[in-house]
Order: sequence, then structure tokens, then C-alpha cells
Amino acid sequence: MSFLNGILLLGAAAFLIPLIIHLLNKRKVVTVRWGAMHLLHEVIRQRKRKMKIEQLLLLITRIAIPIVLALCLARPVLTALRSLGLGSSSLIVMLDDSFSMRAPAAQTTLPGGTVMQQARQDMQTMLTDLPSGSSAQVVLSGGTPRKLLDQATTDLTLVPAKLSDVSSMSGPLSANDAFQAATSALKDAPNAAREVVIVSDFQEADWRAIADGAALPALEGLSKQEPKPQITFYRVGSDLAENLSIASADISALVAAESQPIGLRVRIKNHGKRPWQDVAVHLEADGARLRTARVSLAPEGEAVLSFTHAFDKVGDHSLSVRLEGDSFADDNAFHSIVQVRNQLNVLLIDGSPGSEPLSGAADFLEIALTPHTVAAATLKDLIRTKKIELRKIRNEDLRQQEVIIMADVEKLQGHTQNDIDKFVKEGGGLLVFAGPECDLDWYNREFYRKGQGLYPSAIKGQARADSDAPPARILMQRFTHPAALYFNDARAGRLQDAEFRHWFEFTPQGDQTQRIFNLDRNVPLMIEKKYGRGRVIAAATTANAEWSNLPLQPFFVPLMQRLTTYLATEGSAPAWQFVGSTIRLPLERAELGSEFTLRDPTGQTQTLKSAKEGDAVFVQSPVITQSGIFQLQKVGTEKTTLLAFNIDGAESDLKALPTADIQKIAKRHDAAYADTLPAYQALDRTRRHGSELWQPLLIALLALLFVEVLLQQHIAKG
Amino acid sequence: MATLSDILHAEDITSLQSLQLFARTVVEGFTTGQHASPHKGFSVEFRQHRPYVQGDEIRRLDWKIFGRTDRFYIREFDEETNLRATVVLDASGSMGYRGQKGILKFDYARKLAASLAYLLMSQQDAVGLITFDAKVRDIIPCRTKITHLHLLLETMVKTEPGKDTSLAPVLESLAQRLKRRGLVILISDFFDDPAALLRSIGVLRKKGHEIIALQLWDRDEIDFPFGNWARFENLENDDDFLLLDPATIRQRYIEAQQNFAEQLKDGFRKHQVDYLSLPTDESHSAALRSYLSLRMR
Repeated sequence: MSFLNGILLLGAAAFLIPLIIHLLNKRKVVTVRWGAMHLLHEVIRQRKRKMKIEQLLLLITRIAIPIVLALCLARPVLTALRSLGLGSSSLIVMLDDSFSMRAPAAQTTLPGGTVMQQARQDMQTMLTDLPSGSSAQVVLSGGTPRKLLDQATTDLTLVPAKLSDVSSMSGPLSANDAFQAATSALKDAPNAAREVVIVSDFQEADWRAIADGAALPALEGLSKQEPKPQITFYRVGSDLAENLSIASADISALVAAESQPIGLRVRIKNHGKRPWQDVAVHLEADGARLRTARVSLAPEGEAVLSFTHAFDKVGDHSLSVRLEGDSFADDNAFHSIVQVRNQLNVLLIDGSPGSEPLSGAADFLEIALTPHTVAAATLKDLIRTKKIELRKIRNEDLRQQEVIIMADVEKLQGHTQNDIDKFVKEGGGLLVFAGPECDLDWYNREFYRKGQGLYPSAIKGQARADSDAPPARILMQRFTHPAALYFNDARAGRLQDAEFRHWFEFTPQGDQTQRIFNLDRNVPLMIEKKYGRGRVIAAATTANAEWSNLPLQPFFVPLMQRLTTYLATEGSAPAWQFVGSTIRLPLERAELGSEFTLRDPTGQTQTLKSAKEGDAVFVQSPVITQSGIFQLQKVGTEKTTLLAFNIDGAESDLKALPTADIQKIAKRHDAAYADTLPAYQALDRTRRHGSELWQPLLIALLALLFVEVLLQQHIAKG
Repeated sequence: MATLSDILHAEDITSLQSLQLFARTVVEGFTTGQHASPHKGFSVEFRQHRPYVQGDEIRRLDWKIFGRTDRFYIREFDEETNLRATVVLDASGSMGYRGQKGILKFDYARKLAASLAYLLMSQQDAVGLITFDAKVRDIIPCRTKITHLHLLLETMVKTEPGKDTSLAPVLESLAQRLKRRGLVILISDFFDDPAALLRSIGVLRKKGHEIIALQLWDRDEIDFPFGNWARFENLENDDDFLLLDPATIRQRYIEAQQNFAEQLKDGFRKHQVDYLSLPTDESHSAALRSYLSLRMR
């Protein structure tokens, strides 16, 4: 405790006045020789004890009044927090660098700037206000959280300089991951007094669940650390409420044949409260505008547009959709890459060929992969299949193939197994369907090999749905696997219509595998495993209609085509990636040491070198911080790979969490909240220098005066 | 020999005389029969003879003079006395309170008693006096003669407030002593146990006495105006004192005083005793006026 006007404390000596008056009054007693003593005795008998207490209370109140008044005038400051050593502190700023921070800043704070610029400006003041000897670190919290500096620095001028490079193009902020990163950064904090400030626009999409009570274990852990860091939620906001964005653009095929029409389904979202009429949406191929469509959007509504286009040249092509008229422009375009090939060779190994049409294990597959060829249509199929029985397979059959599909294969002979193993390791794709012929022992022992083999999972056994029980169906959920993304839209087909009577019970282990589809019995239907440079997908059912009616469903054709093209494009760049991720392309071993030139959408170039990690050789870029089409060209060759980067659609909804909810979260975790720089500075001053107590003291003084009057009245009334 | 002027100032005497005149005017024809005498017949004190006129009562003719002179004369007597009034004056310690206005309660009581005695005697009533504190101190029997007044006044003058009060036993002993029924005028502050007091009043009333209770209050005892811390010492008991801040109990004291007065008033009313509460800062004439108005009811 210290005092801003310490000298006025002397005024507290005024407490002597009532005390002296009280004592003098007692000493200056007059003697009254009195007759009506019986009346006095009667009064006193009832109140003697109470009177003593009341007299004492009144005296204490009267003594307290000048003391509190003097304290109030002396402006005491509570400095208990100083004992935490807040003289110099370690500041960790969790800066939300997600895309939404690029929205225009509020007119009252930074006219013409963005929320991120405002955040930078405010952070600079925060850093300037830090006492000398303090250290700072910034955790960029959008997308995957990462440190701005390798180590916390005491050179506080370094931080703003580094911050100017932050483009704020990351994906949505994951609060738990961000606090986890802050906790880890806190370990390097050199000072005992530690402060964590989360600077964010507190987008509703990122924080709603937490405001509704979802746990935030990383923050709970952070707030329980000893010595306890001071945590502050600092909100930087935008006035912008209107925003249009391209939420997604689903492409019908990852790989297309020359002149094969490709469908592009574009979802446009209005995040604002006003309706939009005739918004122009352009389709661009390889940078050239092809056509324009117009859509109208209801408030907070959505519109879906479909485009088709056919490329007539083999190679990588870019396909972009762009909308016009929206002031927040960064999310107005969506880019993807389409690979156009002459053909894609697929080998179908039929484990149980049938004599009747469609009775063989791979018959439905053949039709699904080459529908035009089977129908003798004029349209050309990209995929060219070669069906072969297991016993007739030869080494040369595997050559020139990009994907091998095994359907109801009992087991592979040693040399065939080795050939397929090598094929996948070198980047080929393998799709394995189950079936009654499969030798489960062999599959588990040789093919799965306790996770070392090709097969993605051990098989517990064969499960079935009894005839009187309902069949198993595909569990409808948001699919995240690239081959399944297309089926998130109901228009791609009703996956839930497929009925499964028999299936393999997979028991996938660890993080080697990724589930593509699940059955509603909580078992996987399809799982994927990376193996060498290639990928293997295992399906728990047959490829024909023996165990399910899957092949009879209309979506079977696009599903098989997408799985096949997905397997065939291993080693190629994905159709698009989120800004904030890196480019990482596998290379041939021979390419180790070669250089690549990366050209960004603005024409800037940088050179990348291939690198080796274990057996894998690859080329990797730094984190990509802008959306658009990138070109990666091997130096000295014509070989160019196109890459598309898009902003996460979740960031386009600029709605912020209401202040009350942010405060609620802060309060729950014993954190402070500020939404203006002066408010933060006041908070900081209070922590650093203590809080002034004159206001509560003034209230106490008024209360004492009130009590004194009440007591006096009460005593006078007797 | 004590005279009236020892007790009363000249203006008081003048005031009393005018009061007497006032009383005579107001109470014309009221005295006789107003004091409802419990005895039959008249007490007879001869004054003069006068010639008979028509209308005089035949039984009042003096036949001896008629025998001697052969003329009719009527025997005239002094006015009849049918009231025996005993003034009971409280001379206890509490009557020795001298208030902030400088009036001694007992002084006031003494003057009031003298005024009443004078008033009654000038109305040819027999007046007696009893002074007491814890016990009866002086008893002067009822007499009519004006010379008797001097004895009463002398007794009053020599009496000073004593110690403890014990009103109830005094009144009970009074009931034994007052053989003939009459008017008992109690002048006191009645600072005693109300229950015992009213019980003894009951005894007096049973004996057929008419009672007038005049309660004296100093203004301080009504308003309790003390400001500073004070040590209140009991006038009747030196060991009894209280040290307190009067301001803190004023309200409650006033309530207690009013309750006490009310309690007495109710008790007196129950026993059909006329009651007057007299603050000592009121003039005696006002007090007497109150008394007379009480008697006229």
C-alpha cells in the first residue's frame, strides 16, 4: 500500500477530536440531585448493556470518519501485486493472424486500416509500456499456432519489425491449440512475472462453443501455472458486417481426360444482413475469364452455381471462380488445379471371376471405371482398365499401371506380393476390396504384418447383419478425406442408401491409417494407409453385389472414379490447399539436390531446394501466406506444377462473439478483458502499480456518515 | 409565630385574596352542600339576634327573649361548617429537587398547601395538616378558627424535605387516624410504588374519605432537558447514583414519565380520586383555579 498524497494522512489524526470530545464529556460530568430516580432506573434497566454497545459503536464510527476521510484524500494505492515482481515481466502475445483479422478496422480506432494493423499498433504500445528488462514473445495463433520468434526477446523493437511480415492469412483460430502454444512459450519466459495477452477479433465461429461452456483445458492449465500468469483477452474489432465469400468449389474429378467436361459446383455465401442482387461470378481457366454467371443472395443466405469446362491439353490447369462487388475481397475467389491426362491405367485383379455377367468380383468395378467404353459411347474415359484373374497375373502386367484394384482376392503369391509391395512403395495406388474368398489368416499374417505390411488394418473377422436385423449403412457425417469431400453435398448421391449385410471387422491401430467412410456400427468401411510413396485403401465389403448393394447405387461410379483418381494422383499436388500450409511434393531419389522456382500469384519468385527425410526426397516451401495459383518449376526443365491456395471459408463469417460472452469466458478462467488500448493500459497500470482505493474509501466514508446519523437517531429514540 | 407572609409573598396573598373573592363569586351557594357532609345537623356558633320578619322559620325564634321582652327575635349563627379538609403534604427527599428554573418542589408544595388552607378556612371549612416522609412527621387536627391557620403555616415553615418516601404506609396509618370522614388533599410527587400507593388510597376511600391528589412535577422531570454527561444522585438515598449521557435516554425517559403519570391517573380514576398534575413552573393561582374547577365538577 502506498499513498499518492501521503501528507494528507496526517488528517487521520482528526480521529482524536471525537475521542477527546467523548472523554471530555465524561470528565465534565455535572451532578444532578434527582428525585425521579425510579424512572431513570427503569429506563436504564432495559437498556444498560445495549447502551454501552451503542455508545461504543457511535464512538468507533465517529473516530473512523476522520480516519477514512484522511485515507481517501491521501489516495491509497493497493500494491499487493508488486510482490509478484511485476517490475519487469515476460509478455506472451497470442496474436490471432487468421484471415478475418484482415477485415477493415473500426472507424473509431484505425480508419482505413485493417484489424490486424490495429492489433499491431496496439501491441506496439503494449510493448512500449513494458518496464525495461521485460521480454516478449508472440504466438501467431491462427491455423497452426507458431512462435514469431525462436526465443523470447528483451529487444522489444524486434517484435514490431517481425510483426510487419505477418500477413494474417491463417485459418481459423483453435483456442485450445493456441493456449497450448502459449503455455509452451511461457516455459522460456525469463521473468517470474508473466503476462499472456490474447489479441483477437474473437470471431463467433471460433469461440461460440467455448462461450457455451466447452472446456478449454489448455487455458485452464495455463491459469493454474505457478507463478500464475496474468491473462488478458484483448479484443480488436471490425465494423464490417457485410461480406460475401466463396465458401467452397467442389470439382467433379481430380483428374480428367482431354476434352472431358469437368463440373465445378460453387457455393457462395452471404454472411451479412443485406440481400444482394445479381452478383457477378466469373469462371476463369488458366487465368483467362471464360464466362460469367449472376446470382442473388438472401441475407445470411447461400447460392450454389454449377460450371462445366473441358480442357483440351494434357497437363496441369488452373480453374478459378471469382465474385465481384464485395468490399472484403480476399475471400472472393476460389482456385483449384485440374490434372488433365491422356489416360489413367488401372489393373483389376479379380479374385473370383464369374461366368455370368456381373457375377465376377471386379465386374461392377470395370463398368464404374469405364462407363463410356462399356456403353460404347463417343465420350472418352480417362481410366483404362485391365482385368485379370489372380492366377494369370504376371510381372509385366503391373508395368504402366497407376492403380491396382484387388477384388475378393484369396491371397497373393510371394512374387506377386513383392511386386505389388514395390509398386506401392514407388508411388502406386492400391485399392483392396473384401470378399468371401479372402483368406483372413493370410491377410492378417502376411498382408497386414502387424502394421508393417501393405494392408491398413488387421481383420477381426467377418461380421454380418442378420436377415431380421436392419442392414448396416454408411454413417453420414462431414467427410474430411479428399476422395470423400465431394460427397458432403447431398447432390452427389445418397450414400446412406447403400445397405451392407456382410463386412470385415477392421481393427485399425495408431495413426497410420485414415478413415474414409464408417459404417453405422462404429466400424470403418474404408480406410487408407500411406505406404512408401504410395497409398493403400482397404474396403470392408465386396466390389460386387454379393455383400451389399453398394455397386447398384448411382454414386458408385463417381465414388470409384474418385477413389481411383485419388490413388493415382499420389505424388501430385492436391487440387488446392489452405493458405497457411506449405507445399511439399515428393520427388524421385535422383532429384535430390535439384532446385525449384516458386512463383507466387503476384509474380514474385523464390528458389526452393529439394531435401531428404529418411528415404523420402521432397521439395518443401515455407508457409504460404497468400491465396491464388502458384507455379513450381524445376530449374533447367519445362516441368511445371501448379498449386492452388485458398482461404478457409470459416474465416469469412466476420461475426464477433458478443462482448458479454468474451467477458464470461475471461471471467471463467480468471482472466481480464479489454477492448480498447486505454482500458488495457488502465488494467496494466493496476496490475503493475496497484489499484487506487479512494473510490471504495469514499463509499465507506459515506456509509460511515450514514451509520453515524442512524445510530444517533436510534440512540436518541432510545 | 409564623405568619402567612413567611410563606407567601405579598402578591401571593393578594392573589389568594382575589382568588378567595373569585371563589366566593363563583361558588355562591356552592359551599354549603357542595362539600357533602356525612353528618346531620349544624355546628352552631351564635353571632347575634335580629327581629323576626315574616318568612323566618318559627323554630329559630328565641323564646327566652320573647318571654322577657314579649318580642320576636330570631337567633343568628355563623355559617355552618360541613367540611373537614386534611392537607397531606409530602416532605420526602424527592420533594427537595430544585429544578433548572430554581424552583424547589417542596417550596411550591408548601405554598400550594398554604393557599389551599387559606382558601378553605376563608370558606369556614376546618383544615388540618399532616406532613410526612417515610413516616408521619406532624399532625395538625382540623380546626375552623382563623388562628389555626397560623399553626398550620408555622408547621409548614419549619418542615424541610427529609429522606426516603414511603407514601403507602403513611396513607394507611392516616386511615386509622382520621376518625371522621372528610376531604383529604394529597400534595406529593407520588414517587413511590404506584401499586402500593393505590392500594392505600383504596383503604382511605373505603373509610369514606374524599381524596384530591395533586401531583407536582418539576419541568426538568417532565422534559429531561439535560445535555452533557451527568451524575444523577438520588435525593432520598446517597448511595444511589447513575452516570449517563442524558441525551441518549431522553426519549425513553419521557415515555417512562408519561407512563408513570398515566398509570397513577388511571389508578386514581378507578378509586374516584380527583387528580391534578401540576408542573411547578405554573403559578399557584393557576393551580388553584385548576383545583376549583375540579371541585366544581
